[in-house]
Amino acid sequence: MARSSQKRTERGAAAMLLGPFMVLFVATLVVPIGYAVYLSLFTERSSGLGFGGTETLFAGLGNYLHALSDPAFRDGFWVIVGYLVGYVPVMVGGALLLALLLDSTLARAKRFFQLTLYLPHAVPGLIAAIIWLYLYTPGLSPVVSAMRDSGLSWNFLSSDHALSSVVNIAVWEWIGYNVVIFYAALQAIPREVIEAASVDGAGELRTALSIKLPMIRAAVVMTVMFTIIGALQLFTEPVILNGANPAVSATWTPNMYAYDAAFRKSDYGLAAAASILLALAAAALSFVVTRVSQRRTA
Amino acid sequence: MRIRMRATARLTAALAALSLAAACGGTSGGAAQNGPTEITFWSWTKGSAEVVDAFNAAHTDVKVKFEQIPAGPSGGYTKFSTALKAGNAPDVMNIEYPVLPDYVSQGNLVDLTQRVADVRDRFPEQIRSLYELGGKTWALPMDITPMAFYYRKDFFDANGIAVPTTWDEYRAAAAKVKQVDPKARIGTLFTDEPQFLAAFAWQAGGKWFDTSGGAWNVSLDDPATRKVADYWQGLVDDDLVNVPVGPAWNASVKAGETVGYVGASWGAQVVLRANQPEQAGKWAAAPVPHWGTPAGGMFGGSTFAVSANSKKVDASVKFIRWMTTDEKAVTTRIGVAKSTMYPAATDLVPAAAKSFDPAFFGGQNVYDVFAESAKTVKPGWTWGPGMLSTFSTLKDGLGQLTSGRKLSDSITAANRSTVDELRKRGLNVGS
Repeated sequence: MARSSQKRTERGAAAMLLGPFMVLFVATLVVPIGYAVYLSLFTERSSGLGFGGTETLFAGLGNYLHALSDPAFRDGFWVIVGYLVGYVPVMVGGALLLALLLDSTLARAKRFFQLTLYLPHAVPGLIAAIIWLYLYTPGLSPVVSAMRDSGLSWNFLSSDHALSSVVNIAVWEWIGYNVVIFYAALQAIPREVIEAASVDGAGELRTALSIKLPMIRAAVVMTVMFTIIGALQLFTEPVILNGANPAVSATWTPNMYAYDAAFRKSDYGLAAAASILLALAAAALSFVVTRVSQRRTA
Repeated sequence: MRIRMRATARLTAALAALSLAAACGGTSGGAAQNGPTEITFWSWTKGSAEVVDAFNAAHTDVKVKFEQIPAGPSGGYTKFSTALKAGNAPDVMNIEYPVLPDYVSQGNLVDLTQRVADVRDRFPEQIRSLYELGGKTWALPMDITPMAFYYRKDFFDANGIAVPTTWDEYRAAAAKVKQVDPKARIGTLFTDEPQFLAAFAWQAGGKWFDTSGGAWNVSLDDPATRKVADYWQGLVDDDLVNVPVGPAWNASVKAGETVGYVGASWGAQVVLRANQPEQAGKWAAAPVPHWGTPAGGMFGGSTFAVSANSKKVDASVKFIRWMTTDEKAVTTRIGVAKSTMYPAATDLVPAAAKSFDPAFFGGQNVYDVFAESAKTVKPGWTWGPGMLSTFSTLKDGLGQLTSGRKLSDSITAANRSTVDELRKRGLNVGS
């Protein structure tokens, strides 16, 4: 009798504490996703010259087929692939290198470097993109003038170099964040293992490569997965570059395609379908990454 | 212990419920029936806030609540779209001529034909096709946007360069500018502003859209547009005009590397006077170069329309009529707010010219140039029902200009994508 009423109280307390979160979760995540699925099933048709307004028709999977058959949408995914190929190795590799350097016995002023490496991440993505846009613009940027004076002519904002320019901004923003994650993972390695390695005669480099790296594998896999999911949603930086310089097209990434469909073509059904397809792609990719890493550790 | 926990739990629940209720409480109450009717107005055109203040000071029955939004293509139209979809769009909206057919075809505007029939004749006939669509009036025009050639008078005079009157003379002047100062250029091909191409095509006699035969006939690549595209391609290929974008363009004007700007009437303030105050007194305006006979197109230009969401149509129409036909509106916009818009209502032009401060242009009243250009605007131009999408495709193509993509190819691609887009919306599209 006493135990069941205590259980009831515990369940009541749990519901009370989880309540606000569940309400917000449903309201801000589940309901909009449901609405997006609903929107994606309909389309608006005009007739004649169009001055009589539109009518809403059920389109079934029509919007999805239209998005998949649109070369602009598919090219967006290729841009993401190119972006990942450039971004993931540079960022993960760079973050690992910096974290290992911070963790090594040779490091000085660790707190200072941790803070300064993390600072770029504290800058909101939009502001960072605008700052970098000015740094890329000839006539405004001291960097570009210095490069021109020393003979290098690299147009950051041409359509050939747009991808590397965007990767650069993203690396600047996120490397500090991942350094902090890797550094924390490195701190979790038991000191006895490191001491045993040094007793056995392993140098810093050997310890880093053969002992520390394998032991933080889980953190690295998690970072790679989050990086891929984040990369699929690439939007802020290309939109800022597109606004100032049309070398980045209006549908450069899948997210921009959805934005363009909604707000320039007024085609909310297509935008919703493109967004759902993007979410499915992200889910599929993260599934693959988790499976591959599990098989490795198993 | 257990009783205290239950009380705490109940308190937490009550607080949570209260905060939720407060959040959902809603903000908009019903309009006070005794006080003035309040309407909302969103705009980005220069001088809107001052004009709203002037209206509110002069009227007791209608009060306008103004909200400044980003310029249309930079996010203003997105704001309108989302608000219309959500059902809480402002009563009065600022919509530019190219985008008006799009809003009409989405069913977002109120038909104003009966309500504004008496002021119809105050606006020139050649622009009526821009806001009278399908036999109905959907908006009232705020301004006409004749083109002008703004140039650095000090540079031209010092180097003995004649001000061009035709496009051939413009090309010759461009070569002379480059010869005199290798870093300077007479003008710019704006790769982020496809509306310029439309304005030039309009001037050359092109017709991108027409609705004869009950169908949309799309011809972005008609001969007149091709002539314009080839001309500008030639200027770009021979490095006679530059192609900087956005902040880089402003920097080049400040550095004296761009000494001319072919722009619209509103550009005098928004593009030149606002960004280059230190160059006051050095600029002058001349009629835009033409192809042999004076002719003009329009670049931009705003109208005011009432959204379909609005529950206060009469008050909104009253406000729109005041803004477009009352002299106080024009003198406030130009005299107080320093706009250089050229009013659409013909009888308001003298008041506009008088309110203009000519100091930036060395004492020249640029409204004389605007008036001359406004008379030559070619009638009969129609905008298509999906210009935001068409401009976006054109802009993407123009962005590849520096990588070698020809202007004419971008225009052909935009033509194809526009036809596909209109067909997909279910509209009648002529072959």
